[in-house]
Amino acid sequence: MTQADDRLKALFAQGEPPAHDPVFTTTVMERVMRRRFQEEVALLCVVSLGGGGAFWLVWPTLQPALVAISQGLAPALGAIVLAICALMILGGRPASALGLES
Amino acid sequence: MTPASLDETLVAAAQAGSTEAFSRLVERHQQALRAFLRRACGDWAQADDLAQETFLAAWSRIGRLKAGASVRAWLCGIGYNKHLTSIRSAGRERARASAYEADRDPTLDASAEDKLALERAMAGLPAEQRACVALCLAADFSHAEAAEALDMPLGTVKSHVTRGRARLLQALGVYDDAS
Repeated sequence: MTQADDRLKALFAQGEPPAHDPVFTTTVMERVMRRRFQEEVALLCVVSLGGGGAFWLVWPTLQPALVAISQGLAPALGAIVLAICALMILGGRPASALGLES
Repeated sequence: MTPASLDETLVAAAQAGSTEAFSRLVERHQQALRAFLRRACGDWAQADDLAQETFLAAWSRIGRLKAGASVRAWLCGIGYNKHLTSIRSAGRERARASAYEADRDPTLDASAEDKLALERAMAGLPAEQRACVALCLAADFSHAEAAEALDMPLGTVKSHVTRGRARLLQALGVYDDAS
């Protein structure tokens, strides 16, 4: 490297940004997180609208079928819901919670 | 861990969706990118805005970055394209440049005068030549790295650097001891 290049490099080095700039990094990451949030909200909107639209389209077919099977399924569904509630209340360990395990 | 392998690890984590890894990439490369953009466009505030835009674009495109590629060169390439897009609005560019000149302190010491002469000479270079000079003479990029970052042929980069260097030295009144 020549002296001329050294001088150019020294002049270029003046006004160099700091090696660590938390303010700049934070600003960039704020914008990244904001964009990510906006993208997630947009995706959720699209999925919700799509799901709602699909449900609206199939509802005339689905409704009679649900009515037909609901009477037969109601007792079994009730039992399953009660079992899930009991598991949640007992913390997933029914045997020890009921004193059946030492 | 070498800087390149640390970059590879961080890129892989960012590609998997880690914002923490991307934040570390921003921290590691903000200086090089901002310095390049400051030299390429001459306006520090605009350069920092472009750097932020560059990192936002990089976050969106991180999945396309190939394993082993230079993150610094990739970011400078995105930044350069953003800079080219911004200078297409020539009127706005002229207004900024004149405001920048008007804000300058008229009382300057010898070193500041040299720096001003350098900035004026840089401002007089065409955008492509200026970008090549900013990468190769100021940021220690090899000609090949600069060619990859700026998406230019290697020979074009070399000739831009040679011509740009000559014009800068002439503007500074420096004798070129290489010739």
